[in-house]
Amino acid sequence: MELSPKLAAKFDHLQSAYPVKRSALIPMLMYGQDELGYVSDELIAEIGKRLDLNNVQIEETLAYYSMLHRQPIGKHHVQVCTNIACMLRGGTELLEHAKKRLEIGNKQVTKDGVFSLEEVECMGACTGAPAIQVNYDFYENVSTLKFDRLIEDLDKGKQPEPQGVISGALHERAKSETPLISKKWGIQDSHKIDVALQHGAYQALEKALKQMAPDSIIDEVKKSSLRGRGGAGFPTGMKWSFVPKDSPKPKYVICNADESEPGTCKDRPLMEMDPHQLIEGMIIAGRAINAHRGFIYIRGEYRYVLDIVDAAIAEAYKRGYLGKNILGSGFDFDLLIHTGAGAYECGEESALMESLEGKRGNPRIKPPFPAVVGLYGCPTIINNVETLSAVPSIILEGGEAYANRGTPKNGGTRLLCVAGHVNKPGIYEIPLGMNMQKFIDEVAGGIRGGKKLKAVIPGGSSCPVFKADEVDVAMDYDAVAKAGSMLGSGGMVVIDEDTCMVDMARRIMHFYAHESCGWCIPCREGTSWLQKMLDRFHAGLGRTEDIDLIGELSKNMLGRTFCPLGDAAAMPTISIVTKFRNEFEDHLQGRCAYKSAEALLSGR
Amino acid sequence: MAETKLVKLKIDDREVEVPAGTLVIEATRRLGVEVPSFCYYPGLTLQAACRMCLVEVEKMPKQQTACTLVATEGMVVHTSSDAVRASRKMMLEFLLSNHPLDCPVCDKGGECELQDMVFRYGADTSRFTEEKIHRPEEKWSDIVYYDSPRCILCYRCVRVCDEGMDVKALGVGMRGAHSIIIPNREDHLECEECGMCIDICPVGALTSGTYRYKTRPWEMQYVSTICTHCSNGCKTTLSVRNHEILRANNRDLSGINKDFLCVKGRFGFDFTQHPERLKQPLLRQGDKLLPVSWEQAALAAAAKLHELRTAHGGEAIGFIGSNRTTNEENYLLQRLARATFGTNNVDHHRTADYTGLVTALGERAGEASLTMEDLYKSKAVLLIGNDATKQNPLVAWQIRAGIRHFNAKLFLINSEEIKLERKATQFIQVGRNQVAKAVRWLATGQGQLDAGVAEKLSTLKSALEAEGELAIVFGSELAGSSIADLVGFASKLPGKIRYMGLGDYANSRGAADMGLLPDRLPGYAYLDNKSVSDALAKHWGATVPTKPGMTAPEMIAAAQSGKLKALYVVGANPFAHFAKSGLGRGDLGFLVVHELFLTETARLADVVFPACSAYEKEGSVTNTAGEIQLLHKAAEVMGTRSDFDLLRILSHQLEKLGCGRAFHFKTPTAVFEEIRNTVPGYNVHPAGLLTGGAEPVKMQFSTNGHAPYDVPVELIRSANDNLFTSGTLGRFCTMMQSLPEAEAEAKP
Repeated sequence: MELSPKLAAKFDHLQSAYPVKRSALIPMLMYGQDELGYVSDELIAEIGKRLDLNNVQIEETLAYYSMLHRQPIGKHHVQVCTNIACMLRGGTELLEHAKKRLEIGNKQVTKDGVFSLEEVECMGACTGAPAIQVNYDFYENVSTLKFDRLIEDLDKGKQPEPQGVISGALHERAKSETPLISKKWGIQDSHKIDVALQHGAYQALEKALKQMAPDSIIDEVKKSSLRGRGGAGFPTGMKWSFVPKDSPKPKYVICNADESEPGTCKDRPLMEMDPHQLIEGMIIAGRAINAHRGFIYIRGEYRYVLDIVDAAIAEAYKRGYLGKNILGSGFDFDLLIHTGAGAYECGEESALMESLEGKRGNPRIKPPFPAVVGLYGCPTIINNVETLSAVPSIILEGGEAYANRGTPKNGGTRLLCVAGHVNKPGIYEIPLGMNMQKFIDEVAGGIRGGKKLKAVIPGGSSCPVFKADEVDVAMDYDAVAKAGSMLGSGGMVVIDEDTCMVDMARRIMHFYAHESCGWCIPCREGTSWLQKMLDRFHAGLGRTEDIDLIGELSKNMLGRTFCPLGDAAAMPTISIVTKFRNEFEDHLQGRCAYKSAEALLSGR
Repeated sequence: MAETKLVKLKIDDREVEVPAGTLVIEATRRLGVEVPSFCYYPGLTLQAACRMCLVEVEKMPKQQTACTLVATEGMVVHTSSDAVRASRKMMLEFLLSNHPLDCPVCDKGGECELQDMVFRYGADTSRFTEEKIHRPEEKWSDIVYYDSPRCILCYRCVRVCDEGMDVKALGVGMRGAHSIIIPNREDHLECEECGMCIDICPVGALTSGTYRYKTRPWEMQYVSTICTHCSNGCKTTLSVRNHEILRANNRDLSGINKDFLCVKGRFGFDFTQHPERLKQPLLRQGDKLLPVSWEQAALAAAAKLHELRTAHGGEAIGFIGSNRTTNEENYLLQRLARATFGTNNVDHHRTADYTGLVTALGERAGEASLTMEDLYKSKAVLLIGNDATKQNPLVAWQIRAGIRHFNAKLFLINSEEIKLERKATQFIQVGRNQVAKAVRWLATGQGQLDAGVAEKLSTLKSALEAEGELAIVFGSELAGSSIADLVGFASKLPGKIRYMGLGDYANSRGAADMGLLPDRLPGYAYLDNKSVSDALAKHWGATVPTKPGMTAPEMIAAAQSGKLKALYVVGANPFAHFAKSGLGRGDLGFLVVHELFLTETARLADVVFPACSAYEKEGSVTNTAGEIQLLHKAAEVMGTRSDFDLLRILSHQLEKLGCGRAFHFKTPTAVFEEIRNTVPGYNVHPAGLLTGGAEPVKMQFSTNGHAPYDVPVELIRSANDNLFTSGTLGRFCTMMQSLPEAEAEAKP
């Protein structure tokens, strides 16, 4: 097919950008779709030719990703998030409004082809809820009025200014905040290298390359007690030390920027306001394990962030921080940013590597773990954006000093997103170990409208919920685990007394059913069954035995699925059905005593 | 080979010792303990997707999938604890939540792995009250249908198509509970139509267009026999109802091919029921062939043959045998020629030069033979000529499996680009008709080759010299002296070398082994090999002629010119292959044909006997690798008789007329007893055969002072069948011929 010169150049570049050609598949599909509006048969044929892939290899891959479309969508593709953080602040009503305003249903296109509408899962704008995306542009805190104006402008051919920095990242610092990795936020043009250099960027790299041996980098990270910020909280230094030193294969560093745990939106500002900190962290990680190549896998929705990071990578190459013989040290490191295409599962490290190899994002059998057999079968370390962004600080101030910022075994500071019914939704950098109640009251400004607290999801929708009387807990990995939940990815969602917990359970299960890759039976069928059952139950057609069945099916998934997604769906459900059983029983009486649920029911 | 370390573990309180690296699921099978699974399939990649094989392992926090867990020393595994049983029960409950319970009308009902597992491990009630996800059934091709609601997503089909077949026609579409299997052409399949996906499907998601809705599995009988199409000798289990074949597969994995079958093996059986099938003897009356009784036909044939022999001598009569009839039938045919008529005018359509290979190897012929199993396990394979994927599908399957499982290396020399090239370590493309020259170059360093080829051959030579063992497989491009070149070259390589020549039809190797050759006796013995001919004479009660006879093309030429007075053709179509066109049967006096259909040759005959196909009789066949296997009668077509019966009847009629001795064999087994005693290399142990196995021929050959051997150019002719053709039989495989891929293949 005839490609535009720009796209042809992009394809030519992508075709040779990866050690294995197939890796270019998903980016090619995304960039091709950007130009054509959808993935056409011709595009598939063209990509197949370029990457030596047959039809079915491309079709099965693209069918997996929710951002790729085989049919034309509207010129303006309006995506309304209704996941928990947005739902709590009117996302569901906004979707209903959008349907009426655009006169189309979900996943439909207006007759003139100008607009299409899609209900989407968490897009990483939780602190700006409710949020929508039009194509790649974010619009946050969207009221129905704001929505109508936006549509009007787009209809007239105007391009309304999209959200710049994520809402909730820039705010007056709370007293108990200890900015370290977020310290450049708010500085004008902090994403540009000159500004970043003025504020200390790449000093840690210089130290690591010139004064430290690879092993001592790993030691320092071990001393820092840095634990993975993506959700599992695995000690970072230990992970790095698993990479076999004597392997003749190339080694890789991957940054997991597929942030998509509902309630979580901290990697987005980290990358948009301080991309050089991340790049620096990755080069240091590469040095530590003797890798010469890194990839940043960023979720497809974050296209504008991708562009910012990509520009920063180009700057870093220009200044000699990337490429051959970095700072005269003899160390080489190349870095590439890679777009995802809409799949929560690709945040799971092995699924991410499959996706990065241009395949469906199905997780891999473990062991072997990525440190031994990772990307392209080679030793790989894969860390979250926030984890890698902490590395320069650790190198500069020393592991011990960094560790002392937190509590024992829970080193350093942590970015916490707080969304839902608080007065000041936002992203805050606090020391690990801070009291949760104190955080909600003092940092997040307490519950909106003077309402009472009902529940808290401490770290993303996969975590069991805390009831209001359970939040007097220190926020470090171990203390939260002891209290029966997880610190997870730092996406806290605060729920007030007017919220229907049956509806919460229902929406959470919708998400996991939508995102289940379908690989294993219990997750594929379990999430789908529970979704249907919770829909029915919430709509008033529940049976007494359903309450136990919901709990039991969730427990049946728990610990038996191929990857943690099944657990992630089961854990919050089990906790809600156990802790808020009374609300389920109330539903059986044909009533929902909770305002937002009534609103939802009447909206149907 | 290094000794494999053993590890000892405990499964359900029983100790078992297994080689290090063994998966726990395999260890449980050694003890006869069933750990259920859908996605685990030996030989294919691991999935851990169905979670049916979860077991408890002491000191591990969660239940583990036995299909991915490697057994280690001291491991303690529980496969039937309450927790494990609960896991299986809930897994099946989940699985059934979206599975339609249409078992009464599902083709798989009665032989469904899901049904069996629910019966054994599942719950007796369903708690699922929601609406199931439904999608309409899809027709992917005339022989593959997909019913996605029944699909349990074990990915066996996807893997066998990709890993096993290297076709990659199937993939997984959508995700989550909406996941489905997708074909490569959006709504249909374009592939090799092997049907492996249908066969490997544990449930009724993939069904066969030829079998669906025809019967229930318990209404059929199952007969294991050998595929009658190509020369690879795949075992196929025919599902038969009321003497009619309804399906072919090999689910018990028992043969040399395990569960592999190609499109011909799986779908090429409908010729048996073709309306044009001959079911009555025909006798020429004027220019017409008219149906007559068996007595009339047999008498007419015997009387005329006797008359011509008396008038013109045995050498005025020729015999052309078949590539598909059994060893016993071939043996009897050459015995008829040699003992009854005293002539060596006996041959068949030769598609591979087995004579050349045995002669070139001489005394080493027995030990240097390569079985299909050996091929699979070979560390290195050199394939010279032949497009094995199309012409010898099992050979290609074994090569691919060896590459997958043992990292075997594949070296190719071919004048065309072939599909196996994708898997090759080195592929050397030579000019048209240059394959033999390339081999000559390897052997002697001499000969004109296209630019660059010599360099590549020299790289190949060094690579082969580094191999500890080598399997050499070659097509009809090599014959006579080229095979001698090949053996000459390979004998100088340091490793152990074994050979396989590739012929075309189910018993082409057997035809040659049984001595359907004008210059060789059974076992390739030279006509002047006294010990062999004496032994034969003793059994036959007749002297064995020593004058070489005519080859098949010579016989046809002699027939057309009238030099040959009578021709006796069994299951062959020589007038289509060798005759000068336009001449018809020329001045040939008398022509007898055994056939299934009225072929070009049968149409010219004076007497046509309607013969059984391989699926309708007993006997043994020898595949191209020299492995003997038994046929078992599956179907019955009224009005036909086996060639064994036909030859017996004829021999009795002839004896009555004073011509030779009748064959007093009651069964093919009795003939095989004589073969075991008279054909060098065929004295195999019958136990293996009787239990459904394959026994390799161990050729005992002596060059007996003869000069190096060569064959006339053009005597060895490949039929050049592709995946969808099979000589005469292929033309009558209606289903196969209707496939668009068959049509596409047929285009030049």
